[in-house]
Amino acid sequence: MTPAPKTYVRPMNRWWMRHPAYRRYLLREGTSVMVAAYALFLLAGMVCLVLGETAFNLWRGFLQSPVSVIFHLAALAAFAFHAWTWFKVMPLTTPPLRFRGRPVPDRMIFRAALWAWGIASLVLLVLAMRFL
Amino acid sequence: MSQTRTIMIECLRYDPEQDQAPHYRTYEVPFTDEMSVLEGLQYIKDHLDGSLTFRWSCRMAICGSCGCMVNHQPILSCQSFLRDYYPARIRVEPLEHFPIVKDLVIDQSDFLGKLESVTPYLVPAQPLTPEDGPNLQTPRQIEDYLGYAQCINCLLCYAACPQYGLNNAFTGPAALALLARYNADSRDAGQKTRMEVVNAEEGVWGCTLVGLCSEVCPKHVDPARAINRNKINSTQDYFLRFLAPFGRGS
Ligand code: SF4
Ligand code: FES
Repeated sequence: MTPAPKTYVRPMNRWWMRHPAYRRYLLREGTSVMVAAYALFLLAGMVCLVLGETAFNLWRGFLQSPVSVIFHLAALAAFAFHAWTWFKVMPLTTPPLRFRGRPVPDRMIFRAALWAWGIASLVLLVLAMRFL
Repeated sequence: MSQTRTIMIECLRYDPEQDQAPHYRTYEVPFTDEMSVLEGLQYIKDHLDGSLTFRWSCRMAICGSCGCMVNHQPILSCQSFLRDYYPARIRVEPLEHFPIVKDLVIDQSDFLGKLESVTPYLVPAQPLTPEDGPNLQTPRQIEDYLGYAQCINCLLCYAACPQYGLNNAFTGPAALALLARYNADSRDAGQKTRMEVVNAEEGVWGCTLVGLCSEVCPKHVDPARAINRNKINSTQDYFLRFLAPFGRGS
């Protein structure tokens, strides 16, 4: 048997520089850090609620600060981007769907997700305005 | 006959007997509108440098042997035209994430092993003989797998997959798409043997949905979809094993 040829394996350093799709992917995954940060922030609020009124008022006071406003705006942008890109890839993750015997096109699934997102946000907003 | 223009083709060169690492050489290639990147490479080989090594066969996007990177994009060189890049120069490199044997030729043996590991053939429920007659399918049953069956093993999807580049234990797009192709076939009963490959860390869970594999696939196989749908099956399999620990063989 002839010996295996000497091959050259290229390194993977700075692989994200090689294609815009890689950078879009990293951005999509990166926004989930913000999603996690926001979840922790909400959790902190819950903990304050359990600790008592002073703690909760302190947390609510912090909500009004400029730092908190900037954080919330950044979180909203990150959430919107994350949700949008996630809805885009959602058709790839669903089992094959059929409607009247025909496969459901990807853009229908994407649009349905956008609608569901919009309606859920609206309902939440109305409820919040009503009760807060 | 369209007019002749000149494009600069920068080509990765690597000779395992001389070079420690690859380097680049630029060639001035006259081309006409109907010339593909592959024909540009053939011009170099015939007229400028006979030592340039690359693979090709069919020249019609069906054999899957002419894949390479042009400006970091995995393409079939017989299906891409020089006119679409002109006046910019192009950089031609072997498919990313595979070891280079020489110049544009890569070693695809890792993929061939993976292909074998997914049992890429029909496993009938009972042994069949010609006397059993044809194994009929409805158009709908064919539709379930036909898209995945278009793969020409060109490996553009592996060159597009950073997860494979970072960890080549990952079974990868084309092999997992072919796995889905046989699982989706009504004549097949081999799902159980393939489940081990699906469930492994290097199976569908090695995919983080970068999604470029499906974009570059010249046959629209959509491996990203095949893999991510199998994540559902893998999850089901995982929980079913808890529910029925004795009922499912191993
Ligand atoms: S799935 Fe597409 S890109 Fe990948 S090897 Fe098959 S034909 Fe090529
Ligand atoms: S030469 Fe056969 S696919 Fe390009």
